[in-house]
Amino acid sequence: MTTGSLILATIGILFGATGTYLLLPHRLGAAKTRTIYILGAVFASLGLVGFLALLSPPALSPLGDFIAGSFFYVFAGGAIGCGVMTVTSRNPVYSALWFAAVVVSVAGLFLLADAQFLAAGSVIVYAGAIIVTFLFVIMLAQMEGRAVYDRAARSPGRAVFTSFLLLWSLTYCLASVRGKPDGPPPAGELAGPEARLLRGREIAGFYQLAETNEGRKALEHSLRPTSSLYVEADPSKPKPNVAGLGEALYADHLLTVELAGSILFAALVAAVLIANPKRAGVPPTPAAAVEV
Amino acid sequence: MTDPFTIDLLRNYLLVGAALFALGMLGFIARRNLIVMFLSAEMMLQGVALSLVAFGRYHGNWSGQVFTIVILTVAACEASIAMALVVVLFNRRSSLDVTLWQDVREPGVETTDLADEAGEAAPMEPIEGVESYPHLTPAGVEPAHPIQPWTERRR
Amino acid sequence: MSGFFVQNVWLIPFLPLLGGLIAALAARRFRFDAAIPVAAGVALAFLVSLGAWASSGAETTVLVSKWITAGSLVVPLEFRVDGLTTLMLSMVTFVSTLVIVFASGYMHGDPGYPRFFALIGLFVFAMTGLVLSNNFLLTYAFWEGVGVCSYLLIGFWYTKPSAAAAAMKAFMINRVGDVGFALAIFWMWTIVPNHDLSYQNVLAEGTLHNFSDAARIGIPLLLFWAATAKSAQVPLYVWLPDAMEGPTPVSALIHAATMVTAGVYLIARSTPLVALAPEVQLVVAITGCATALLAALIALTQNDLKRVMAYSTVSQLGYMFMALGSGVGSVARLAMVAAMFHLFTHAFFKALLFLASGSVMHAMGDVIDMRRFGGLRRRLPYTCGTFAIGGLALAGVFPMAGFWSKDEILLALESAPHAAHDLHLTFGWVYQVIYWLAILTAFLTAFYTFRAFFMTFFGPEKLPSADDPEAPPVDDHGHAHDSHGHGHDDAHGHGGHHVGEESAPIMTIPLMILAGCAVLVGLAFGPTGWFEHHLEGTLGFEGLPHGEHAFSWGTALISTIAALAGIALAYTMYAAPSTVPSRVAGSIRPLYRASLGKFYIDEFYHATIMKLVQGLAAVCRVLDVQLVDRLVQGVAMVPRLAARDVLSKYQNGLIQFYAAASALSVAVLLLVLLFS
Repeated sequence: MTTGSLILATIGILFGATGTYLLLPHRLGAAKTRTIYILGAVFASLGLVGFLALLSPPALSPLGDFIAGSFFYVFAGGAIGCGVMTVTSRNPVYSALWFAAVVVSVAGLFLLADAQFLAAGSVIVYAGAIIVTFLFVIMLAQMEGRAVYDRAARSPGRAVFTSFLLLWSLTYCLASVRGKPDGPPPAGELAGPEARLLRGREIAGFYQLAETNEGRKALEHSLRPTSSLYVEADPSKPKPNVAGLGEALYADHLLTVELAGSILFAALVAAVLIANPKRAGVPPTPAAAVEV
Repeated sequence: MTDPFTIDLLRNYLLVGAALFALGMLGFIARRNLIVMFLSAEMMLQGVALSLVAFGRYHGNWSGQVFTIVILTVAACEASIAMALVVVLFNRRSSLDVTLWQDVREPGVETTDLADEAGEAAPMEPIEGVESYPHLTPAGVEPAHPIQPWTERRR
Repeated sequence: MSGFFVQNVWLIPFLPLLGGLIAALAARRFRFDAAIPVAAGVALAFLVSLGAWASSGAETTVLVSKWITAGSLVVPLEFRVDGLTTLMLSMVTFVSTLVIVFASGYMHGDPGYPRFFALIGLFVFAMTGLVLSNNFLLTYAFWEGVGVCSYLLIGFWYTKPSAAAAAMKAFMINRVGDVGFALAIFWMWTIVPNHDLSYQNVLAEGTLHNFSDAARIGIPLLLFWAATAKSAQVPLYVWLPDAMEGPTPVSALIHAATMVTAGVYLIARSTPLVALAPEVQLVVAITGCATALLAALIALTQNDLKRVMAYSTVSQLGYMFMALGSGVGSVARLAMVAAMFHLFTHAFFKALLFLASGSVMHAMGDVIDMRRFGGLRRRLPYTCGTFAIGGLALAGVFPMAGFWSKDEILLALESAPHAAHDLHLTFGWVYQVIYWLAILTAFLTAFYTFRAFFMTFFGPEKLPSADDPEAPPVDDHGHAHDSHGHGHDDAHGHGGHHVGEESAPIMTIPLMILAGCAVLVGLAFGPTGWFEHHLEGTLGFEGLPHGEHAFSWGTALISTIAALAGIALAYTMYAAPSTVPSRVAGSIRPLYRASLGKFYIDEFYHATIMKLVQGLAAVCRVLDVQLVDRLVQGVAMVPRLAARDVLSKYQNGLIQFYAAASALSVAVLLLVLLFS
C-alpha cells in the first residue's frame, strides 16, 4: 500500500467520522434538523466511498473473477453502510432491522470466501433467531415508542474519536505490516507482499523438508488430510463445502463441538432461570430481606 | 498453481472486518439503549468472524470456519442470556437505559446524568406516531384506552 | 568406658534442658513435682561430668553438629573437653543439683514453681554450654543465654516492681558488656587465619604471634570489658546487688556460684592471649583490686543479709580478677591456677552462705533485715553451724577452702613484682600496693562476714514483728509477702506460725553437704597439687611460663592474722548488744553514710549516664515524631490524594465509559507499537 492510499484512507476515515458524528443522536437528546442529517449522510457516503477505494480492485480478465469482485464491493459497502445505520438509528427496531441487513451482507462476503455453509448458517442463526429475539424484547419493553435514551447518545464525540482512531490504526496496521516474516526463506520465489504473510501450508511444507526440526512431528499431526480445504489427491480441487467442514469438525475438532453443545445447554438453562417472570417480578418481602 | 484468494483479497476482507468491528465499538460506546448496545456487540463479532473466515480461506484450512461456528454458538448463548437479563432489568426499572445501572462505582462519585436533565428540558423531537396524529374534535365519549404510556413517554 | 563420657559430653547441657522442658510442658498437666525432672537431669549431667573429669587425659573436641555455614564463616557446634572445662562442669552441675534440691523446699507452693525449675534447667543448659563450647561465637551465644536466664530469674516475681526493675537493670548493664564481647569477636574474625574462631586456632601460638600491637592489647581489653559486666566488676558491678530481688536459690546459683564467674572463666580461657599483654593484666589487676576493696567497704554497713553476701560476691570476684591480672611473666601459670581455684572454692562456700541466708529468710517469714532478728543460733542450729563454716571459709581461716585459694592469690600477687622486674616492666610496684590492699580486703571480708553472722545468730533472741521500729512501711512489707510469702503460707497452711522454725531437711541437707565441701575441697585440691595437675590438660596451659612458687609461710601467716583480727573485732562489736558500733559510726559519720549509701555510685550513674541517655532519647523521639513520621505520612498522602481527588471520579460505574477507555487504550497501544 502506498503513501497515497494511506492519505486516502485517512481522508476517508475522517469523512466517515464526521458523517457518523452528524448522524448520531445529540448528546443531550436535542432534535437535529434535516440539513444536518443530509450533510451527515453525504459525509458518511463520501467516507464509505473513500474506504471502498482502499480495497484492492479485482482482476478484470476472467469475467467470473470480475463479477465476484464487484459483488465483493456491493456486499462490503452494504455491510458497512448498514452498520452505520444500525448504530445511528434512533429507533431500536430499525437498528435491529439494519443489523439484519448487516448480517445478510456479511453472509454474502462469506459466500465469496467459499464458506457457503457459514453464510447460510449465520443468516439462519442471526437473522432468523437472534434478531427475532431482539425484536421480541424491544416490543416487550418499548411499547410506547422512542424514549429519551434513544434520542440521546453518550458523549458521541468521544465515542466517534475512539472508534475511528481504532479503525485508522487497524487500517494503518494492515497497510504496512512491518518486520521480516520468520517463516522459511523462499529465496526469491515469494517476493512482495506475499512474503509478509506466508500461508500455513507453505510453512509446513518447508519444515517437513527439514528432518531435524523439532516441530516436524507436530506439523505432521496438524497436516492431516481432513484439515485442508482441498482434496488430498489434487491440491487444486476444493472439497465440497459442507462435507469438508463436517469432516474437519467431527474429526479434528470433536471436543470443540461437544463444548459448544454444553455451552448452549447451559445458556438455555440460564436463560430460562433468569427470565422467569415469577422470580423476577416479585419484590423481596420484608421477612425474606430480614432472613438474608 | 496460483490460488485465486491472494493476499490482496485477504486484506480487503480484513479491512471490512476492521470497519465492522470499529462501528460496533462505536455503537457500544455511544448508544444508551441496552438492546442496541448488544446489537453493536454482535456486529463486532461479525467483523471478527469475517476476518477469521478470510484467514482460513487464505491458509487453505477449515480452522477459520470452525472458529466462526464456535463464535456463532457463543453469540447465540450470549444473546439468549443477555435478553433474559434485559427483561429482568426492565422489570426492575421500567427502562432500558444503561445509565440507570451504575451502582458499582466509587462511593461518593456523583451519578447525576446531565443528558437526562437536559433531555427533559429540551423540546421533543417531532416524530411520527401517536403523538403527531391530528387533533380532532371529540366526537363523543372517549373510549377506554391505556393513556399512561402516551403521557409518560420520556421515561 | 572413659571414652564414652567424653564422646557423649553433649549430654551435659542437654539433659538439664530436657529436664527443664519436661518441667515446663508436663509438670502442671500431669501434676508431678517440677523439680524432679530438672534435678534428675542435672544430677545425671553431674555424673557425666564426673566421668568426663576422670577420663579427660588430653584435650578433646567433640563435634556435635553444624551451626552456621555461610561462605568462609563456618561455625560448628563443637564442644571441648579439657581440664578447665571438666572442672567448671563438675562444679556447676554439683552446685546446681544441691541448689535445686534446696529450692524444691524453698520454692514450695509458689505459683510459678514449674516455671522456676524450667528456667533453672535452661540456665544449667546455657551455663554448661558456655564452658563446653569450643569457639568464641558459640561461647557468645551461650553467654547471652545465661544472661537471658539471669534476667528471667531475677524478674521471677515479675509482678513486684522492684524485681522487674532489677531484672531490667541487670539485662541492660550486661548489654553494655556484651558489646565488648561482640567487638572482640569481630576483631578476631578479621585477623585470625581462615576466620576460624575456635579456641585452638585463636589461641595457637602461631596465631597470637601474628597479632598486631593494637590487636594484642585491644582484644583482651574488649574481652575484659565483657567480663566486667558479666562478673560485676567496677564500673559495671551495680546490677549484682540489685539482682538479689530474685529468689534466694537463684542468687546462690547464678549470682554467686556460676554465671558471674563466666567472666573469670573467659579471661582464664584466654590466658594465652592475655599473658601477651602485661598492660592489660595491670588493668585487670587494678580493676579487680578496686572492686574488691569498694565492695568490701560497702558490705561493712549493709543491714540486708543477702545484700552483704552480694557485695561479698563482688569483692571475691574482684579477688579472682586480681589473681588473673597478676599473671605477668613467670607468674602466669600460678595466677591462672589461683584464680580458677578461688573460683572453684568460692562457688561452694558462697552458695552455702546464700542458701543459709535463704534458710534464715525462710524461717523469718521473708524478713531479711538483720536488725529485725537476732540470736537465732538455738532456733536454727543447722543453719547457724553451716553459716559459720561458710563464713570461716570466706574469711580464709585455716583449714577451710577459702584459706588455700586466697593464699594462692596472695602468693601470686606477692610474686608479681619480681616477675615484672624480670621483664623490665616499670609498674611492678603497683602489684606491691595491690598485695597490701588485698590483705586489707581479707581483713574487711572477715569482719563483715562475721558481723552478719553475729548479728543474725548471737545476742538476745529476737524475731521479726510488725511493730519493730526498724520495720519498713507496711505496704512494702506487704509487697514482699504478696509476691513470695503467700506461697509459703498456702503450703504450710498455718500462716506466720512457722516463723522461727528450722527449715525442713530437704533444705538443710544440701547445706550440710556444701559445708562439708567448704571444709574439704581446699584441703583436698590445694596442698596436694591436684588442682594444678588437673588444669595441665587445658589448652595453652603448657605454653604458659611458670616458675617455682613455694608455699609462702609469711603470706599465710599475715592473711590468717588479718582474718582472725577481723573475726575478733566483729565479735567484740556485735556478739553482744553494745553501743560500740553506733559510737564508731558516729565518730566517722561521713564515711559511714557513704558506705551505707553504697558510695552513691548508683545515684552518680543516674545523674550522669542515665540523664545523658535520656536526653539523647528525647532528641531521637523528637526527630522520629517530627521528621521521620511526617515524612512517612507525607509519602502516604500522595496516593491518597491521587486516588481520592484525581482517579476516583473515573470509577463512575458506567460500563460505556470503561469500554471507551479500553478501546482508546487498545488504539493507543497499537499506535505506539506501530510507531516505535
